Amino acid sequence: MNVFDPEALSRCMSCGFCLPACPTYALTGDEASSPRGRITLMRGIEDGTVPLADPSVREQASMCLGCRACEPVCPADVPYGLLLEQWRDAAWRGRRTPWLVRPLLALTRHDLLLRVLGRLRRHARPGPRRHPGPHLMLGCVERVLFPGVSRAAQAIDPELQPGRGPGCCGALHAHNGRLGEGEAMGRALGGRLPGTIVTTSGGCAAHLAAVLGRDRVAELSEWIVRRGLLPRARAGARPRVAIQDSCHLRNGLGVAATIRTAVGTVAEIVELPSAQDCCGAAGTYSLLRRRDSARVVAPKIQEIARAKVDLVVTVNPGCQRQLRTAVRKAGLRVRVVHLAELIGGALGTPSR
Amino acid sequence: MTARTAGVVDAQMVDRLRDAVGARWVRTDAATRRAYARDATPLFDAEPDVVVQPATTAQVAAVVKIAAAHGVPVVPRGAGTNLCAATVATQGGIILSATRMDRLLEVNAAEQLAVAQPGVTTTALAAAAATVGLLYPPDPGSRAVSTIGGNVATCAGGLRGLKYGVTRNYVLGTEAVLGTGEVIRTGGRLVKDVAGYDLTRLLVGSEGTLAVLTEITVALVPAPPVSGYGVAYFDSLADAGRAVAAIVEAGLVPATLEFLDATCIDAVESHAGLGLDRGAGALLLFGDDGAQEQVGAALATMVTACRDTGARTVTTAPDVATAEDLLAARRCTLPALARLGSLTVLEDVSVPRPRMAEAVARIGDIARATGVRVGVFGHAGDGNLHPTAVADAQDPAQVAAVHHTFEQIFQLALDLGGTITGEHGVGVAKLKWLPRRLDPAQLALMRRLKTAFDPAGILNPGKLGS
Repeated sequence: MNVFDPEALSRCMSCGFCLPACPTYALTGDEASSPRGRITLMRGIEDGTVPLADPSVREQASMCLGCRACEPVCPADVPYGLLLEQWRDAAWRGRRTPWLVRPLLALTRHDLLLRVLGRLRRHARPGPRRHPGPHLMLGCVERVLFPGVSRAAQAIDPELQPGRGPGCCGALHAHNGRLGEGEAMGRALGGRLPGTIVTTSGGCAAHLAAVLGRDRVAELSEWIVRRGLLPRARAGARPRVAIQDSCHLRNGLGVAATIRTAVGTVAEIVELPSAQDCCGAAGTYSLLRRRDSARVVAPKIQEIARAKVDLVVTVNPGCQRQLRTAVRKAGLRVRVVHLAELIGGALGTPSR
Repeated sequence: MTARTAGVVDAQMVDRLRDAVGARWVRTDAATRRAYARDATPLFDAEPDVVVQPATTAQVAAVVKIAAAHGVPVVPRGAGTNLCAATVATQGGIILSATRMDRLLEVNAAEQLAVAQPGVTTTALAAAAATVGLLYPPDPGSRAVSTIGGNVATCAGGLRGLKYGVTRNYVLGTEAVLGTGEVIRTGGRLVKDVAGYDLTRLLVGSEGTLAVLTEITVALVPAPPVSGYGVAYFDSLADAGRAVAAIVEAGLVPATLEFLDATCIDAVESHAGLGLDRGAGALLLFGDDGAQEQVGAALATMVTACRDTGARTVTTAPDVATAEDLLAARRCTLPALARLGSLTVLEDVSVPRPRMAEAVARIGDIARATGVRVGVFGHAGDGNLHPTAVADAQDPAQVAAVHHTFEQIFQLALDLGGTITGEHGVGVAKLKWLPRRLDPAQLALMRRLKTAFDPAGILNPGKLGS
């Protein structure tokens, strides 16, 4: 088979240091659902020892959250996220694409409906055509589900030009078995939005950085810290805030400190022990594998309840949706907001 | 060495296993069998027929009885981080995974002991001990992943060997399932107990060939209040060896005495950029733990010993952060070496401490002759060396050269009065070398012992005692 980047695959020395970092291994205690086990499967696929289409093999490609928590702990720097994309690209090709994913991928690609819905939801108004940047990426999911996020981001930095036209960077496609298409969409977005692309979605930041180069992309917290746009620290009562990292932002790009710098200016940070662990949203995972997704998020919701926080801050629309749903189901009186809404609100702009 | 066990895993046997532990925990699918074909040992690969995850001692006993009745191998496995292919099912059969038996049953500050199921990770055990001010000293490199069951089965070592000993020094008692399915309890909670043969000690390092461990009682010690570290560079490993001798002669038993050779220093510096002295022939990391004044005095003695033996530079870490930087150099040695090639073979020999520098020099000679890139690092305090070869996994000539190199290194260790493995174990990887280390009478006794524990010969067959 010619599925995987041979150099990337050869880097793994099977030491197993990734096992304690893996959420699905924590659920099962099963080597096959650990990063090392999955790499052993990839090697088996590559040398023909196991069939790519075997249901038990495909199950492991599907069960992986793709959170990349295994990457920072890997002594050999195995690019696991890339290998997983290559695996799904081969395993989910054509008719094997999970049926729930298809309409979503189609919707984000043919985006007229998204744009209409987004406008109806009143996300930040796009700027003029052919603006040199910096641009605020409106995204695909976020512009419809959480239109207040782009408005808040623009309130924080009015120089940010919300990008015109289609907003999807292709991350969803790359993670769901359409690697080439996802990369092409990322490049197209990069062509339409020259200069720095600022995004309020950790997943999009990591994908765009992989396609366009790290220097073209800034996640919102990085941007406001770099540009000195932090609100002035306020006296008086500060809300207690827990942070949910974005997996790809933290594990792929190493961005975590700037989120805390930004939140810390307006709130008291209560670090959850699992702040850096996947919430189970994981792109389409929460749709495709509802039960596993719920099992992954359950201990986090208990932590949030114990922490007695007022707010949970997210930096990715998927996490925002996942935690908002889970918190509501658990009957907690905790608001789940995006970083932009917290900071934008602290600057004096209504957060909703 | 022995014939394969006769039995095969058939549908009827799988049904019996499912009745014993629940259908969910007995798997024969392609992904499962492939994932469990390997542990952390490079170049060893064999698929089991079935993977079983029991939750209780009774389930383990039931699985072993079924296997004995069918004459099918049982390979106990913790996290699969061993480096001697001890958990590769070379004759197929059952992989018996301990990951569901992961409860820490007791941490007792008054008796200074802990009782754990075999699947508890070493780090979890150590962390639980730390909450009551106690230390579980063995700290193998894979401790965040490895299980206490696997540590006991391989008698895992670590960085604290000289001062604190290794796993065998801490195991007070076990519960284990014999190859017949009988459950035995060896040792217990007592410091003094000489009722009967010391079967506990026999099970430590038995690599799953005598019994399946189902519960382990370990001794804990008071956690030292402070630790201190320093680093010295030498022109040659021979100089570093003299420094180690001077430290020991001064009456010290330091907690940390680790060395890197020039190849390792270079690899670590290229990888991590810690500001190491690339011109040096050897790096010696030293440290001690205990009461504040005692640690200060020990560090001062070690600094003097290094200076007196011709160190290029000697520094001590003024604070924890600097100490962490020093330790990082040692901890990232293996990954730094692994960057140099697609195949990394981490080996493990031990020699008497006074012969250590000579051993490293002669390993260098061997590597030059075979043309294989070998870095050596290890535990200077206890003479345990980790010569590590890097090569291109796709090049059969290079892989053969690596094997050839290690054959000469093992012989060298034996010639110097050392051993073929200090802390990794024999497994399949070192089995053919065992007759050079142990005499025929002892090997014959090991086979008779194996038969007494496991008359059907089903427990991890083709390894120790076979």
